[in-house]
Amino acid sequence: MTEENVLEQEKLLNGTQAVAYAAMYADVDVTAAYPIRPYTEVMDTISKLIADGQLDAEFIVAEGEHGQFEIVKHASLTGARTLVGTSGVGWLYAMEAIVVTATDRAPVVAVIGNRALDDPGAYGVEHNDALMVRDVGWLLVWVDTAQEAFDTALLAYRIGEDQRVLMPVGVSMDGGFLTHSEQIVRLPPKELVKKFLPVYNRGKYLVHPDNPITVAPQVNEDWVTEIRRQHDEGMERARTVISEAYESFKKVFGRYPGTTRDITMFENPFVEPYMVDDAEVVVVGMGTVSKPVKVAIKKLREQGIKAGMLRIRWFRPFPTQEVVKYLSGARVVCVIDRDYSLGSPYRGGVVYHEVRSSLYDLDARPKVLSFIGGLGGREITIQDVEKVIKIGLEQRDTPLTRHTHWINVRGDPW
Amino acid sequence: MSNEENVKYVEITYRGIFQKRLAKYIAEGLVYMARGTNRSAVSFGRYGDSPERNGVPAKYYVAIGEINEEELIGYSTRVEPETVDVVVVLDDTLLKGVESWAWQGVQPINLKMKPGGAMIVTSKRSMEELVKMTPSKPFKWTLAKIDWEKSFSGLWAFKDDTTMERVWGAIARIRPDIVDLEHVTSYIREHKKDRLNERLKAVEEAYEGLVSKTMNPGEGIEFEYVPPRLLTWQEMLEGTVIHAVPRGGRNEQFKRGTTKFERPTVDFDTCIKCKLCWVYCPDECFEETQDGYYDIAYDYCVGCGICAEVCPVKNCIVMVDEKQFNNYERPYKMWRTDKAQYKEWLRTVRSNGERERVMVPGLGR
Repeated sequence: MTEENVLEQEKLLNGTQAVAYAAMYADVDVTAAYPIRPYTEVMDTISKLIADGQLDAEFIVAEGEHGQFEIVKHASLTGARTLVGTSGVGWLYAMEAIVVTATDRAPVVAVIGNRALDDPGAYGVEHNDALMVRDVGWLLVWVDTAQEAFDTALLAYRIGEDQRVLMPVGVSMDGGFLTHSEQIVRLPPKELVKKFLPVYNRGKYLVHPDNPITVAPQVNEDWVTEIRRQHDEGMERARTVISEAYESFKKVFGRYPGTTRDITMFENPFVEPYMVDDAEVVVVGMGTVSKPVKVAIKKLREQGIKAGMLRIRWFRPFPTQEVVKYLSGARVVCVIDRDYSLGSPYRGGVVYHEVRSSLYDLDARPKVLSFIGGLGGREITIQDVEKVIKIGLEQRDTPLTRHTHWINVRGDPW
Repeated sequence: MSNEENVKYVEITYRGIFQKRLAKYIAEGLVYMARGTNRSAVSFGRYGDSPERNGVPAKYYVAIGEINEEELIGYSTRVEPETVDVVVVLDDTLLKGVESWAWQGVQPINLKMKPGGAMIVTSKRSMEELVKMTPSKPFKWTLAKIDWEKSFSGLWAFKDDTTMERVWGAIARIRPDIVDLEHVTSYIREHKKDRLNERLKAVEEAYEGLVSKTMNPGEGIEFEYVPPRLLTWQEMLEGTVIHAVPRGGRNEQFKRGTTKFERPTVDFDTCIKCKLCWVYCPDECFEETQDGYYDIAYDYCVGCGICAEVCPVKNCIVMVDEKQFNNYERPYKMWRTDKAQYKEWLRTVRSNGERERVMVPGLGR
């Protein structure tokens, strides 16, 4: 019995490596690869783990992202645990395969190293790539540390493969700021991972000669509505399964997902609230923006400004209840979107509209402002966040005149 | 904020693909060593323009602080830090400037250095030569040299040739506040158990044999760098359109010449004016002279070597290691001024700078 089977290890890993290690700990059977930055180091690391004899899996190099996602979809339907991943336009090139992966209920786990969509060419983070599938039945989650990337990838298998769910999970991480940033990751003993993660079992949905079924026949108007309705119910069941999985994770590994030696993660699977209890202004965001946001909040708190943060972790299913719970006490909510939704109501970001919609039924609603920033890999600095909170405070007692502000864009005041 | 002032940054500037692993492993070691002294530490690759393409100057950073790791991540979730304490340069030809990000222009190698900072270069040049290539700063700082040839390998093929141990040893000597010798050696003993004595000896050699020099304000060469003024959204053309560079002109904001690790040298005496170099150069670096020769704009040449391959005259265009040159001066004028002297110079750089072809898997060579 080797050390890694029974002892916790610590290893310096970046976000992409962390997911590759999680795939090794989850003992994946099939992975399909096609390079695109910033995801590429996932496949680099997997191939090295296989070459070093640490992982026994089929490593299939596809001819492009469409084939890449088709491969894992089919493998998954035959009962193989799979890992796949891509970035930006690679994700879009695979879109047809990605959508049917969800409708065929294949619990593929995909890493999306978030990247701006072309054109113009840019390698940096933007969330519009992963968000393209927000409406078609993928579970979507954003992580903000390498530890959370590792833990969430393990959780993704547990959640997606649950027979109440059977849906693909997209684990998103900010290109550059997490894909290329190394932090110490706690790797749990492999024996415990086996305990946490049951064998993938599709039951009656297994494509196998002994279980003759056909997946995805042509059905037209006769069946489609019912299929969508079923899918909707599965998505709803995922909420329960996600909650159970996080509790089980804590029980088995003795720490809440995302917790490191230095970071104690708040115990809620869907969101991470930070200093929201008495906050007048709450900043909402997804991904690594949380880190400068927390520093800014701490600083402003020292000046007596009551600011807080709510990081959205699971975007699908959307944490409506949690958003209501943690934001209803605020006077102003400032949603920072690392994406955009051109032509949308109030010209705001995607997350902004979801948050705003979640709060609509409240009798006393906070004002909700949209901040678009950090596009194409541009950084959102601590100073930027301080400005966001200041603009929020200015709007506290006055009628709302402007819903959307662009962070640090050349040509507009900032 | 006072906490941020306590964060120390090491910047490792390297040549993309050939030294990516090396830079990453140097950074990795520093993180473990710093954590061994109860500090928080993280590393991050500058996600700039193509660290996976041959020769592109790229950067790796280490952030170290006596603060909570999450706060450290908060400060270092940046494209790059505002300032750095130590600059490590893994190829001395990078001293000519780095253009690691399109549209920002060619930047001096020590642009981000703090007052009192240090720059450590792996180089076989003399200290005097290095000073003549090093951009000056308006404050006192330390220039140090590890007497060691640059280490190149492929994307995955890490050349485990003790370069990283030497860099750690040099940092321990010059900035023990970042990592000290004790923690360098204890890290190696714990994590690099193969060839242990060789590794420890390399650390010791670099530590004991480090050549360093205090650079006074203004010492070194002038290197003018003005950050470009980028257009506002109102000023830009719509539809991701930019104006073409006028015929015969060049893009001052995106030169790419700092990418090369070898350059074409031309023997104008044997040139037959066939124009093939001009035709085939993918970066349009060749400029026709009035008498029909082809001068080379080295600041735009990425050193791809296609001209040397298509040139039909034996030894007319020959690729030479970039370390033979201190600047991007074009060759034609030098030849016209004194042909005999040019020939002698050409002979010298060619005999010293035998071209080093790096094997890159997948390229068929």
